[in-house]
Amino acid sequence: MKIGWKLLFLLLATLLLSLAALFVGPVSDPSWTIIWKIRFPRIILAIIVGCGLAGAGAVLQGVLRNPLADPFILGTSGAATAGVILASILGFQHYSVIYFLALGSALFSILIVYKIAYINGRAPIQTIVLAGVIVGLFCNAMVFIFFSIFYQESFSILYYLLGTLTEGDMTRIAISGTIVAAGLTTTWFMSRELNILTQGEDNAFHLGVEVETTKRLLFIMASTMVAGAVAVAGMIGFVGLVVPHMMRIIVGPDHRVLIPASALGGAIFLLIADALARTLLPPLEIPVGALTALVGSPYFVYLLRKKRHTGEF
Amino acid sequence: MPELSLEKVSFSYDSSFSLQNINMSIPEKGFLSLIGPNGSGKTTLLKIMSGLIKPKSGTVRLGHDHINELGARELAKQIAVISSDQYFEFPFPVETIISMGRFPHLSKLQQLDQNDLEIVEKALHITQTTHLKNRPISQLSSGERQRVLIARTIAQQTPFLMLDEPNTHLDIKHQISIFRLLQELNKNHNMSIVIVLHDLTAAATFSQTVALLDRGKLLTIGLPQEVITSENIKTVYGVNVEIYPSLSGEFPQVNYFQTDS
Repeated sequence: MKIGWKLLFLLLATLLLSLAALFVGPVSDPSWTIIWKIRFPRIILAIIVGCGLAGAGAVLQGVLRNPLADPFILGTSGAATAGVILASILGFQHYSVIYFLALGSALFSILIVYKIAYINGRAPIQTIVLAGVIVGLFCNAMVFIFFSIFYQESFSILYYLLGTLTEGDMTRIAISGTIVAAGLTTTWFMSRELNILTQGEDNAFHLGVEVETTKRLLFIMASTMVAGAVAVAGMIGFVGLVVPHMMRIIVGPDHRVLIPASALGGAIFLLIADALARTLLPPLEIPVGALTALVGSPYFVYLLRKKRHTGEF
Repeated sequence: MPELSLEKVSFSYDSSFSLQNINMSIPEKGFLSLIGPNGSGKTTLLKIMSGLIKPKSGTVRLGHDHINELGARELAKQIAVISSDQYFEFPFPVETIISMGRFPHLSKLQQLDQNDLEIVEKALHITQTTHLKNRPISQLSSGERQRVLIARTIAQQTPFLMLDEPNTHLDIKHQISIFRLLQELNKNHNMSIVIVLHDLTAAATFSQTVALLDRGKLLTIGLPQEVITSENIKTVYGVNVEIYPSLSGEFPQVNYFQTDS
C-alpha cells in the first residue's frame, strides 16, 4: 500500500541518518570511544525526543483542532522544564520525583491553556496561542527566577534551558524512551477516536465518542510524551509544530498513519538539527533548541497566514 | 423502533433564557420541523432531544431508557445528528468521513469489515456522492459537504436523524436536493426526522408535523396547515404575513414581504 511505503521510507531514513550521525561531529577522526560513549547515546536521545515532541504535537493539534498547537508554543514544554528544575532545587534526585513533577506540571499547563482558551466549546486559534504564550512566559519566568537564585554559574543548566541533547545519563534516557514509547502506543490505539474528535466535540459525541474521557486521556498522554522529552533535553521548540504539519501533507490527516509518521519525522528532524548544531561552528556547539527555533518561527508565521487564507490544515 | 418522548422538560442557560415545560413525543417514522424566532429555543431543544445536553428538569426517554443515562456509543446507534457547527479543516477523504458513521457499531479495535464497507458504499450511492469518495472534504462546496454529512448519518444506521438548519448557506437547487434526500430517507429508509428550520414554507412543504416554539415554550404542534397560520405567525414573530395554499393545495405557503407589518 502507498501509505505503508511512505512509513517504511521514513523508517529507513531514520535508520540511515542515525548511522550517518555516528560519524558527524566536531572531531573529524573520532575514536570508537567517542562514537559509542558520546555520539551513540546522543543519537538515541535525538530519536526519543523527536518522537516524543512531534508525536505530542500531532495529538495536540488533533484534540485542539488547531494546527499551531505545539508543546513549546502551548507552554507545555516550559511547564515540564519548571517541574524538572523544581525537583532539582528541592533536592530530589530520584527519577520518579523528577518525572512526576515534569508530567504533573505539563498536564496542569495544558489544562490551564484549555480552560483559558475555550469559550462555549470553541477555541479560536488566536486565543489558544495567546493562552499558551502566557502560560509559557509564566513558566519561563519561574524557571529564570530559580536559575538566577540557584544556578547563576551553571552553563549546563543554561544549555538545558535552551534545549540540548547532551544528557549522558543512560538510566534517564531509558526512562524517557519508555515513557515516549508508551505515550505513542496509547495514542496510536486512540487514533480512530482522535480522527472523529477533529470533527468537533459535539459531532464526536453524536458519532459515539465519549468526548471528555477521550480528551482527558489524550491530554495526559501528550503531556507524558512532552515530559519524557523535556526531562532529558529541555525546551526544544517547534518540532511538534513543523513535523506533524509536514507529515499531514505527505501522509494525510488520518492519525493511524499520522502519529507514527510524525514520530519518525520528529526523529529525522532532530537528527539533522543536532548534526548541524554540532558541526556548524566547530569546536563550539549551538544548543539544538536554538536551531529548531530558527527554522520553526518562520514556519509558524507561514502557517498562521496560510490558515487565514485557506482554512485547511 | 423505540419511541422518543420528552416529559416536562425545562432548561436554562444562566437566568436569561429557558425552555419551559416541554412535553412532546417524536412521531414514529415522522418528519417533524421545529420552527420559531431566533432565541425561541429550537436548537437547545434539539440538543436536549439528541442527548447532548441534559435538561435541568424533566426527562427525555428513548423507549424504556433515560436518554442521558445511555453512553455515547449506545446513543449514537439510535440518534444521528447533523449540527450547525461543522469543521472541515482536516482534509480527510470523503470516504473516511462517511466511515466515521460506523464507529458506534465497532468494538474498540475492530476494523471495518466487508459489511461496513458495503454500508458506506450504499450511503455514497444514496446521496450521490460516489464520485467524491476520494476527494478531501475540505475542498468540497457547501452543498457537497452537506450531502457527505447526510451520507455519514446513513452509514450510522439510526432510527432517528436530527438536523439543525441543514439548508443555510445553500442555493435553492441544493436546498431542494437536501430536502428530497431527507424525504427519501424518511419514506424509504424509515428514519424519523427532526429538523430545525427558519424557512416556514420549507417546513410546511416537507414536514408531516410542525412544532412552533415561542420564547422557550411549545406554543403548538400539529399538521403544517394547523400550525402555520397567520394568527400564530403574528403572535410569535410579531409580523403580518399572507398565507395561501400551494397550487396543488397540499401545504400552506408563506408570503412575508408584500404585507405591512
